[in-house]
Amino acid sequence: MNSETLRAVVDCLIPPDDFPGAYDAGVCHYLKRLFRTDLASQSGFFRAGIEGIEAEALARFNTLFADLTPEQKISILAAIESGDVKTSWSISPSRFFEMLVNTTAEGFYSDPQQGGNRHAVSWVMTGFENVSDS
Amino acid sequence: MNEYDAIIIGTGAAGGIVACVLAEAGKHVLLLERGPQLSFAEVGRDHLRNQRLAIYGHNAGPELIGNPRIFVDPQGRSRIVKPHELDYHNNAACVGGGTRVYGAQAWRFHRDDFRMASKYGVPAGSSLADWPISYQTLEPFYERAEWELGAAGDGNSIQHQTPRKRNYPLPPVPPGPQTAALQNAARQLGWVTSPVPLLINTKPYGGRASCIGCKYCVGFACPTDAKSGSQNTVIPRALATGNCELKTSTIVESIDTDARGNVTGVSYLVDSSGATRRETARARIVIVSAGAIESARLLLNSSSSLHPAGLGNKYDQVGRNLQGHLYPRAYGISSARVFNGIGPGVTIATTQFNHDNPGIIGGGMLADDFIKPPIDFWYDSLPPDLPRWGIENKRFMRENYTRVMHVRGPVQDIPNPEGRVTVDNAVRDKWRIPVACLSGTTHTATVEAAEFMRERGEQWLRATGCERIWSTQPGLILSGRQHQAGTCRMGTDPAASVTDEWGRVHGHDNLFVVDGSLHVTNGGFNPVLTIMALAFRSAEYIAQVVL
Repeated sequence: MNSETLRAVVDCLIPPDDFPGAYDAGVCHYLKRLFRTDLASQSGFFRAGIEGIEAEALARFNTLFADLTPEQKISILAAIESGDVKTSWSISPSRFFEMLVNTTAEGFYSDPQQGGNRHAVSWVMTGFENVSDS
Repeated sequence: MNEYDAIIIGTGAAGGIVACVLAEAGKHVLLLERGPQLSFAEVGRDHLRNQRLAIYGHNAGPELIGNPRIFVDPQGRSRIVKPHELDYHNNAACVGGGTRVYGAQAWRFHRDDFRMASKYGVPAGSSLADWPISYQTLEPFYERAEWELGAAGDGNSIQHQTPRKRNYPLPPVPPGPQTAALQNAARQLGWVTSPVPLLINTKPYGGRASCIGCKYCVGFACPTDAKSGSQNTVIPRALATGNCELKTSTIVESIDTDARGNVTGVSYLVDSSGATRRETARARIVIVSAGAIESARLLLNSSSSLHPAGLGNKYDQVGRNLQGHLYPRAYGISSARVFNGIGPGVTIATTQFNHDNPGIIGGGMLADDFIKPPIDFWYDSLPPDLPRWGIENKRFMRENYTRVMHVRGPVQDIPNPEGRVTVDNAVRDKWRIPVACLSGTTHTATVEAAEFMRERGEQWLRATGCERIWSTQPGLILSGRQHQAGTCRMGTDPAASVTDEWGRVHGHDNLFVVDGSLHVTNGGFNPVLTIMALAFRSAEYIAQVVL
């Protein structure tokens, strides 16, 4: 699984603005650990999905996913979400995408010990914890 | 072999109370718990593995490996489920049971909850029935649970409970930033509201500290022990007498009977440092308090030549009428912040719609909600038309996590005999005991009531001035989960119930069920205070009359 692809994907799902995006918050670390532990049985499924994203990028734009424009990346992810793929997938694109979105959100919004919410950035962002007041 | 006056199976809301009452009456008690004693640190604060959101596991048991159940969906397809899956209908497996990690809402049932069949008739396909006892019979025991465990609230403001003989021992939790808006909206609508009663110390009580307002009630343990459960109230009292022996990590395999079919004790397996040991204990009476699913499972697994279908199951009633609550939920975006980071978070409720709703059988209570960790909120509370990813989703979380107002509540389940627990000899747990198999759904009348309550939730939020309101209700599913009840219902007719009004299993002198299994119906309220009240009542009877 290409780390650059995964980084680009999670930053489309939870993009950086004036708060960090998923990558800077540590979501890739969270996902790598998750698919080695609790979801080890799903790691092949997940890897196949990331490879599917890479294949879609090459088929549609002849470019690596990570090098696409934000609009191009979003168009590919939206197509996968709705199952509208141009390449041959060994797994269900929409089921993979649902797992991708959910696990990314789990990393970003759950407790920092999980590894995907570094410095509790999402808790400060949402107001669940106001670090300046504590 | 050990001889006891009573063996109690399960340390949850009911088992702890029964142990306490019997031990304080001088009876020699063996209290068995399948799970361990868990410290605050062991329960922890994992946002993905807790009793409220169990995506990858639980913080209060049971372990994911070795504790399967079978779930049969409405299409008849069966599959093996693990404890963290919704269809497992888990409740915690540790000392204190569900009360170790519950939210601790302390509602009394409505007087009409005890006479549902008389009030509404019996809808086709349902097993709606009256309880063999009335609210008035249970009232002193509700009061006892409130005072002995420590409930906080304003009794005189709770419409369906007035007049009360005695108020709560503790003042209600303070209002939150959302409370005044909900109160004013209810007033405009002509609805009566009250603070939500909770088994949480709003002041020091029972030798324990008061609530510090942390954000972790439901699904977690309390850092100051202000939340009152069996593990920090009645079980310590039972142990302090010297009359109660507590064995943890101990699973009961069967209730044993003699050649004449009389109950003599239990056989259990002790799980310690990797080795499993089988032991037997003898007692004058056995009390099953393992929760609606596990209590039914144990009776069904205790078969013998004289009881081929399991104990108390001569008329095929054990395990039937499994019920819990459907929870309609409504959300709206408030112009003001409705979050101040101070728990519990639940502050105001209305019992206006528990009964007497046109065209509806029963109804339910509505209240605001416990503070939701952000990942719970992301899964549970986003508008259905919001994209699940991208900058719009992130902005919504950022702008509205502190502005979304929530109301939700349990809807009275209309039971039916097909919602049930059976056992499957082909699937065994790690101790080789046949596992529980869950099947059926609630009755369509429950879904009609849930839909009605969903609309009331939206109506309440609209009256607060919330914009962008959305809501859900779960539809025709099996209800159970942490509010599981009904599988060994009380009654006078042995062919249509499992126990008498004291929880004594029909046809047995010395076998009792005391837990939510007894509930004939489960009210439109969180059921724990009713489980506790019934436990005090049965335990007093057992201590005074039976033993």
